[in-house]
Amino acid sequence: MRELKYAEAIRAALEDEMAIDDSVVVMGEEVGRLGGVFTTTQGLIDRFGDHRVLDSPICEAGLVGFAIGAAVEGMRPVVEIMFSDFVLLALDQIVNLGAKVRYMSGGQFSVPLTIRMPGGAGTNHGPQHSQSLETIFANVPGLVVAMPSNPSDAYWMLRHAIRSDDLVIFLESKNLYFRESGDVDERSGPDGYGARVVREGHDLTVVSAGRMVGRCREAADELAAENISCEVVDLRYLWPLDTTTIEASLRRTGKLAVVHEAVEFCGWGGEVAAWVSEHCFERLDGPMVRIGAERVPIPFGHHLEDEIVPTTGRIVAELRKLAAY
Amino acid sequence: MSHIESPPDTSTDPFSGVPIGVAEQDEAHEFYRAMSIVRSVELEIEKMHRLGRMSGSFHSSIGQEAAAVGVCAALRPTDLVTSTHRGHGHALAKGVPIEGIFAELLGRASGVSGGRGGSMHLHHRRSGFLGENAIVAGGVPWAAGAAWARRRRGTDDIAVAFMGDGGFAQGVTHETLLLARFWKSPCLVVCENNGLAHSMPSERLFGPPGTIARMVEATGVLSRYVDGRDVMAVARVARELVAEVRRGVPAFLECSVFRVRPHSLSDPDYRYRPRGAGQDWLARNDPIANLRARLESLPANRVARIDREVAEEVAQALERAEAAARPPASASKWFVYSSPELQNHA
Repeated sequence: MRELKYAEAIRAALEDEMAIDDSVVVMGEEVGRLGGVFTTTQGLIDRFGDHRVLDSPICEAGLVGFAIGAAVEGMRPVVEIMFSDFVLLALDQIVNLGAKVRYMSGGQFSVPLTIRMPGGAGTNHGPQHSQSLETIFANVPGLVVAMPSNPSDAYWMLRHAIRSDDLVIFLESKNLYFRESGDVDERSGPDGYGARVVREGHDLTVVSAGRMVGRCREAADELAAENISCEVVDLRYLWPLDTTTIEASLRRTGKLAVVHEAVEFCGWGGEVAAWVSEHCFERLDGPMVRIGAERVPIPFGHHLEDEIVPTTGRIVAELRKLAAY
Repeated sequence: MSHIESPPDTSTDPFSGVPIGVAEQDEAHEFYRAMSIVRSVELEIEKMHRLGRMSGSFHSSIGQEAAAVGVCAALRPTDLVTSTHRGHGHALAKGVPIEGIFAELLGRASGVSGGRGGSMHLHHRRSGFLGENAIVAGGVPWAAGAAWARRRRGTDDIAVAFMGDGGFAQGVTHETLLLARFWKSPCLVVCENNGLAHSMPSERLFGPPGTIARMVEATGVLSRYVDGRDVMAVARVARELVAEVRRGVPAFLECSVFRVRPHSLSDPDYRYRPRGAGQDWLARNDPIANLRARLESLPANRVARIDREVAEEVAQALERAEAAARPPASASKWFVYSSPELQNHA
């Protein structure tokens, strides 16, 4: 058991998987000598050499296509995309080849590939370095979409992704890299694809993932002082979506809010709400509430960003209204 | 100073080809058989569409047979190939079974991709045919990564990525050539310059045949040009390049070919080239007729027998494919994920 920052947990997961499996290789821009712009590959090149930690030229599409080729031929590449915004350059390779080649080939090929990328706002990186694009991937058959919210999940979900024979889109929060610390037990093991209730409550259920889980917990703390009891569900994966845990929580609370950093319009919160409406309508004691980003690019300055991305204050206000319904 | 010779103008230059020597004649017969199979399969597919017994579209490789067969002649069974939307010839030349291709185009369970891929998604692992990729140039990095992995795992297998002149406009082609050189991937990128990227003349975009090879040469990648009408020449150059690639570097080959048919089944090509342009070219340049003529000048030629055998083999494969069963409806959801847990969830 070690206390690690979120970024250190990512790095530790890479190191520990590389140590036990020679087919694991890390590829990406600045992952070698520099150790990754967010330090997540620091020192790996010293331990494993430049034949396993490969600095890529700046060519996301070629890089991801190359990694897919390596994966179908028995390697387990872990590609780092420096900012998740840049993955859009590689979307063809991911969506048209990586996600589909198993299907298109009638099961002849698997793609044991993990594509890691830091996303989200909160670091003053501006509109092309701050997006939360997870909904795009959740919509593509053939992909797994992982969104760890804390160091322990960052560590075990990444190790699980690397061992998986499917293509995992692994969305890290760069805002959490150095702000979020937590205990990581390297001797436990992967915790499956299920969601997790991270705070129990009985008045309403708040479903979230990634960085927003922390804000939902803060909001729940504030509301507890007002005698409003919120249950917070950390989805951990957008696909597969653990509807069992959502449903069980809703049976206890009867009210649902979904909080995400991705754009609210056509965002994955709508999918969760639609599923609940179709399967748990009788359990609902109030309207389902979506709390997501405005349909506006992420602005540079914090005071502007706070108008766009859900803040703890906005989450508190919305949950308070829902509790009173 | 470029090492790439100025090529003949394949659109007007009458094509004769050098005579076939005694030492080459067995191989030339095999090439003739392989090219005839590609032609025959493409013609049967056209017929099936005309008769309404095949659906969807397809992209004919008629006129490009010598490139596919000549390049694949330089490969081992364990070498890998990726291809394009116009990939039936590459699949056949790499050894993908004819029946499995027909069955795939007919949506049968016995198709090489189980009937869920179709004409543009043939995949056959056992033949080293990673597959077609219907996104222009999308298969180029796939081949480079696969070749790199094979090398990392201790083999000296290589991969060939077939692409077209249209694919040379795609950034991912250039990205891959850079990556392959940087990471020493043993892959050969073969650009079949068929003169047209759909309706865009290659000549207008890049210049005369051979220009693309020169552009690649300027990047420091070993690059050659060959007249893609002549299977003997293609095989010779491909073997030279493959020998270099097997040492662990990428290489590039531009083959000038001709797209005899419209871009796809439903393409009104009379809007952008003279009616009959394909047949006119074929009448003067047909790579198969040309090889046949060269073989017929040999006293011990076997072309007539090969013609009969190919016709019979292709007809039988089609008959068996058509008689095969369609996959059950539930097969539409198979193979989305490798993990049983995730597959059940899907």
